Amino acid sequence: MTSSTYPQPIFNPAVECASREKITETQLGLLKEQVRLAYDKVPWYQARFKQIGLEPGDIKTLADVRLLPVTDKSVMRETYPFGLFAAPLDQIVRLHSSSGTTGKPVVVGYTKADIEEWRYCIMSMVQMAGVIPSDRAQMAFGYGMFTGGFGLHYGLEGLGCMMIPAGSGNTERHLMMIEDYGTTVLIATPSYALHICEVGEKLGYDWASSTLRVGLFGGEPCPPKMKQEIEQRMHIICTDNYGLTEVMGPGVSGECLFSRDHQHIAESHFIWEVVDPQTMEPVTEGGIGELVLTPLKKQGVPILRYRTRDLTRVTIDPCACGRTTARMEKIRHRSDDMLIIRGTNVFPSQFEDVLSHIEGASAHYRIIVDNEGGMDRLTLMLEVEPAVFSDSFTQMDSFRALVAEKLRSTLQLGVVVKLIEPHSLERSMGKTRHVEDLRS
Amino acid sequence: MSVRQLSIFIENRAGRISEITGVLQRYGVSIRGLSLADTADFGIARVVVDEPERAREALERAGFLVRTSDVLCIELADRPGELDHIFKTVASVGIDVQYVYSLVSTYVAIKVEDVEAAESLLAEQSVHLVNQEELSDLSI
Repeated sequence: MTSSTYPQPIFNPAVECASREKITETQLGLLKEQVRLAYDKVPWYQARFKQIGLEPGDIKTLADVRLLPVTDKSVMRETYPFGLFAAPLDQIVRLHSSSGTTGKPVVVGYTKADIEEWRYCIMSMVQMAGVIPSDRAQMAFGYGMFTGGFGLHYGLEGLGCMMIPAGSGNTERHLMMIEDYGTTVLIATPSYALHICEVGEKLGYDWASSTLRVGLFGGEPCPPKMKQEIEQRMHIICTDNYGLTEVMGPGVSGECLFSRDHQHIAESHFIWEVVDPQTMEPVTEGGIGELVLTPLKKQGVPILRYRTRDLTRVTIDPCACGRTTARMEKIRHRSDDMLIIRGTNVFPSQFEDVLSHIEGASAHYRIIVDNEGGMDRLTLMLEVEPAVFSDSFTQMDSFRALVAEKLRSTLQLGVVVKLIEPHSLERSMGKTRHVEDLRS
Repeated sequence: MSVRQLSIFIENRAGRISEITGVLQRYGVSIRGLSLADTADFGIARVVVDEPERAREALERAGFLVRTSDVLCIELADRPGELDHIFKTVASVGIDVQYVYSLVSTYVAIKVEDVEAAESLLAEQSVHLVNQEELSDLSI
């Protein structure tokens, strides 16, 4: 972590530091073109427009984005595979898809121009995270259909970094590459980065003297506590970035080094809305709601108003870094992840919040939902950290009781807390599964 | 005069204790005493061995959470009233005994709040306290 490399120049100040008026004006122009493209080239959108009595010409101000039909995952499945493509298939130079953990995968196509725009978004995003052209960037995401691998790969390469396309898995090989190639940037899910860190520590790897200095994390939310832990143990700066296959992939928003719990949205490429997930009405300014994204420069698949299911809030207050682009808070909850326990809404991220405020509580846990005698039951399996382990049962039990009590007061629900051995939960290379719902 | 005890966190699942003994066996560490206490979810295995440092390293390398602490190791004469004498002595000055377990031979390990105070108190009473070297060199 060398402070002399910060702050980095802004990749495109004319765009990233533009006035709100200028941003809005540019977005409106692009939005009109996207709407026209979707209407003209995508029968599904045209049918929807007709159904709700809307013409592309009705979009006159940026606020009119709310008149447009929304798109969600079910639409993408219904039109699978190519039903939402606007460009003829011979113009499509690449396909990506999102993991089909629930039902059919979502598939998106990119034209040459789309790939270029995506590369631009990544270049500006990684520069915001402190990456410089002389960096050596090691990819620990899998390549394949997932957008994370290729998306970041080409952006980093475009910036001039030495790309090391290691791919996912084989942690010891990752460690060897970091050491032998002098890797300075690691692209990974936060949980896999922590795994690399731990395996390295076990093998006697000295992270303090490692060349590694920046972590680019994505693929799953990075809880603040985990981020802090990785920063301290690996001696790097960890930055989050965000994106979705449906609207492009990574590059939608990313963290700058001045506003560590927010991420700048690439407003040159996306319009954001924050809405009430039930009514789809905009929330009051700065309020929490579901993020809805409309990409502005897509030729392959011009998605309108994509419902991300991610809950966040957005501020347009200028950032200390000098950028004027809107910033979204780290994603705290997903509207899909909400668990209903005995009639009460519970978000897995609430566990995260509670644990992050308890000294010595591990970032490694699993939430099990099952039922006992017809009643929903919540169990938290929490790994015991060395700092918490004591030879005394009384002390161990008071720690367990403290965790249970803090959870009860936050969730308004009783939670069974079980202490388990360190490293007994699987460390994932992809998205960490924190919740197991065993209810029948 | 105290000896080093290792406390190991273990989940209650089949075979876990054998993984601890397995590690010690592979490293040629000899167990002088073992106690296993548990709650519904987890247990704490406490061991006194001939080479505590080596045992700790081996267990940690195998992924176990280990804590070391000092316990008093006492050699008892095999006759009624010996333990009673020890506990009364310690209780007379208000030192709390947290737990006790038997070791090889007629040895017991006792964990007290104030190891040093209990140690000098018992020494005054001519109780034979066994030190780490004696325990390590023990051949039965």
